[in-house]
Amino acid sequence: MGEQTISEHLRAEGVTRREFIQYCGILAGSLGLTALPSGLHGSPDLGRRALLDRVVQALETSPRLPIIWLEFQDCAGCTEALTRSQSPTLVDLVLNEVSIDYHETLFAAAGTAAEEARLQAMETYAGRYVLVVEGSVPTGGRGLFCTIGGRSATDILDEAAAGAAAIIATGNCAAFGGLPKASPNPTGAKGVWEIVEDKPVVNIPGCPAIPEVTTGTLAHFLVFGKLPELDALNRPKTFYGTTIHDRCQRRPFYDAGKFAGSFDDEGARRGYCLYKLGCKGPTTYNACATLKWDGGLSFPIQSGHPCLGCSEPEFWDGGGFYQGQSAPIGPPGLTTIGLVAGAGAVVGAGVAAANRARRRKPAPTAPTAPAESGGEP
Amino acid sequence: MSQTTTRTAEAIDTFVEETGGWIASQLEACTRCGICAAACHFYQATGNPDFAPVWKVELLRRAYEQRFTVAGRILTALGIRRRITDEDLVAWSKLVYEACTVCNKCAMVCPMGIQLGPLIHDVRAGLAAAGMVPDDLMAAVNKQLEEGSPLGVTDEVFEQRIDWVSDEWDVDIPLDREGAETLVVFSSIEIMKFPENIADIARILNAAGESWTLSTAGREVVNFGFYEGSAEHTAIFISRVLDAAKALGVKRVMVTECGHAYDALRWTAPNLVEMPEGLEITHIVAVLDALVRDGRIRLRTGTADGDGGVTFHDACKIQRRGGHIEEPRRLLKILAAESFREMTPNREAAICCGGGGGVIAIKEADPNRYAAFGLKLDQIRAAEAGTVVMACSNCRLQFLDGVQHFGSDLKVRGLSEMVAEGLEASDEGRTS
Amino acid sequence: MSWHEFLRFLRGPLFEVALLVFAAGLAYRIFRVVALGWRRERAPAMGSRAGGVVTSYAKGIGIWPFIPWVKDAFRGNAVTFLAGGLFHLGLFVVILLGTAHMLVWKSLLGFGWPTLPLPIVDFLAAGAIVAMIALLINRFTQPVVRKLTGPAEMANWIFVFLPMLTGYMMTHHMFFRYEVLFSLHMLTVDVLLIWIPFSLIPHFAFYFFSRTIHGSQFGRRAVTP
Repeated sequence: MGEQTISEHLRAEGVTRREFIQYCGILAGSLGLTALPSGLHGSPDLGRRALLDRVVQALETSPRLPIIWLEFQDCAGCTEALTRSQSPTLVDLVLNEVSIDYHETLFAAAGTAAEEARLQAMETYAGRYVLVVEGSVPTGGRGLFCTIGGRSATDILDEAAAGAAAIIATGNCAAFGGLPKASPNPTGAKGVWEIVEDKPVVNIPGCPAIPEVTTGTLAHFLVFGKLPELDALNRPKTFYGTTIHDRCQRRPFYDAGKFAGSFDDEGARRGYCLYKLGCKGPTTYNACATLKWDGGLSFPIQSGHPCLGCSEPEFWDGGGFYQGQSAPIGPPGLTTIGLVAGAGAVVGAGVAAANRARRRKPAPTAPTAPAESGGEP
Repeated sequence: MSQTTTRTAEAIDTFVEETGGWIASQLEACTRCGICAAACHFYQATGNPDFAPVWKVELLRRAYEQRFTVAGRILTALGIRRRITDEDLVAWSKLVYEACTVCNKCAMVCPMGIQLGPLIHDVRAGLAAAGMVPDDLMAAVNKQLEEGSPLGVTDEVFEQRIDWVSDEWDVDIPLDREGAETLVVFSSIEIMKFPENIADIARILNAAGESWTLSTAGREVVNFGFYEGSAEHTAIFISRVLDAAKALGVKRVMVTECGHAYDALRWTAPNLVEMPEGLEITHIVAVLDALVRDGRIRLRTGTADGDGGVTFHDACKIQRRGGHIEEPRRLLKILAAESFREMTPNREAAICCGGGGGVIAIKEADPNRYAAFGLKLDQIRAAEAGTVVMACSNCRLQFLDGVQHFGSDLKVRGLSEMVAEGLEASDEGRTS
Repeated sequence: MSWHEFLRFLRGPLFEVALLVFAAGLAYRIFRVVALGWRRERAPAMGSRAGGVVTSYAKGIGIWPFIPWVKDAFRGNAVTFLAGGLFHLGLFVVILLGTAHMLVWKSLLGFGWPTLPLPIVDFLAAGAIVAMIALLINRFTQPVVRKLTGPAEMANWIFVFLPMLTGYMMTHHMFFRYEVLFSLHMLTVDVLLIWIPFSLIPHFAFYFFSRTIHGSQFGRRAVTP
């Protein structure tokens, strides 16, 4: 791997200058920015040319970005999504701008050869490579639940994180623990940022993560040399800044109170809001409603399925996919409520009995029945 | 300086004694909305928020909270809730005896339906146990205990009066007749202040061929123990009448023109004492109506017409608390066929005369009493009536006193008096 | 702790605790009264007690709340009647006929029911909030009610008002992010549930005692309640 700049690499691939500038334009768009990141020279206002110029400059001066992609307790879904992205121009471009120096799923090599390649890359690009992690990291059983080449996932992660220029956790599992963390979490699964605490970790949650979000984040790092602005859960604000609910095409139905009551009723067929079917849109931050999936083809709600909230921490334990968002999580059953109420009743009756016992005995000269001005209705 | 003595302890112990599920559930139901004040004639007439029924019951509620609830006990022990003191008893005595007639209209407007009247009666019970009853009222109670009547109608005075009435109005009045069907018990107000009532009622019963009697032992239907709120005294006075009924072997006791006495005998007595087997308790108003409907007496139409509008004042204990609402109207529709009109509000929603519940017996309560009576005058004026009829002698006393106080020319009549007036000539003069 | 974790706690363990405290507390309050003993009424009835009870409920629930001005007691209590009525109407509609709350009932009971369109529920919710403010002002200005207002009444007002306000804000995504508003709403709801057994709010349960007593007492004396 030489230190060819990206533009040189593209020129070598037969991409013309005009095409190159076009690609830069598309890449600029994929960053989803409305202003240049702070701390850069130049005015923060985005003139039409300012960002494009910046992208062109980056591609002309930077070599391809080395990436180490680790997979732990994962299903490889995020990788699959990435490779099946319907924007070949964009993904190919990004793949042209990055060199994936280790990827279990995509590599032809396997076994010790692949591991050696990884160690070699980590040494060569020490301090420069981007570490992408897919899948959660088990911390239970002293790491025995996920081992690669005899080494635990936590060890491999710590080692890889040490030399990384940036760490990206792609998919809900790597970001927040995902499915393995769902109750009762037998493997002690954790998200990457709960383990790597001395370096910033960018979370790109989703189940899977939207491929354009992953590539857009990588592109950001490529173009600006730093991580994008992150929210409180370390998610890039450009993609996770608004909720599904805020951008949902079915929002007018929510506001009007028109809901689908079941999956095939009249409301469902008319495309009404899926709140009653358990849509978690209001509390889910992601770009599904705008970027959508499969190159903008559709997203769950558009296809008639409620949002699962898959870009939020612990969405598997969030109260059931088909239970309304307003419903409590794990409420007590009627039997429990009944028993507790019964206990309260017993205590109340006990207090009443104590109160009754404290009444005077009627005096001997009083009439036969104790006095009370009213009786049972 | 707050003081809590054994008096207060007595009061609270009584409250505790009285409080069962009936009282507790209603105290717990109160939401402190204050709507009951709108129904209270004393509040309406004076605008004094202390007179709001919910505030009158506050003493009972506090005792309940401080004695019956865990939170209440803790807060009281911590000093966050004030204990009930003697000063409280003094203040509440004025409220429940001098600014309340226990008319129970408040119960009708309460959105929760709370029976504030009976609850206030319970506050009286506690104050009575603590000896915190207004002097005038207590004096009357003691007089009734000692002499058999708050107006001093001893058995001698009674016999003399009955003799005189019988003579003066030439009417037969059976006394202490064993085996009669109905024991008629008058109030000492009628005996001393409206003796013609006795004659009128006697005449009506005789014309109807009723088998009836008076009783020397059971001569007083008024029950100052009931006003006092003392169950013990209430029972004593009731027992005098019931014992007389038993001794004479009557089938029913008829309360004449008195309100609270009917409440005490008909609705309260069975919960206080053992009632004689099968004894019926009724009121003159119901009897008059039944006699007319059964044709045992006949009334001439319109005997009360031709003298301006005639309206009826519903007595709280006979109408709202007694249910005899349509009986007087049926009678008046005959007697004042053209001039009868209702005042507003009427029937169960009627406004109290302001003198019941013992209020008229307490001099300190006069300002309240007259203020409340002003509301009645306004009502009657609005109904454009020159005559008001009622079936309760206490109301009648209040009306006469009030009319004089305000310098009104309103005519005040008793119902029995008007019925007697309207008897068919052929029925009159019949002796039993 | 992030807002998400906080929200999960408020919707999960804290809600569970709050609901159980509410259930136990309410049962405690009711049985503390019921088990005090009820005297048998010995005086023979003159009219129908059952008829009185039916009339009492029919008037109390079905008629007076909707035309309160026909009663004399309306004068001087207009705010209490109107704002009180509007508050209760909004409360029942939002809690029982609002979609979001119906889903809560469904998760507890296992079944749901049809609900009213959001714009109607929303309108009544806004009405209820305005009514609460009117009632608060009334508590300080109406002479009788002012006498009856103490710390307990103020606490009731605040603990009831906050869930209404936060719920409304949440529905309209006002000022804060949704999970922040949802958290505030759940927090105030949990606090309210825990507060209820210690307050005057169980009047909604004791209503059935006092109203039945009322109907029965008037019915037995042959007076229309």
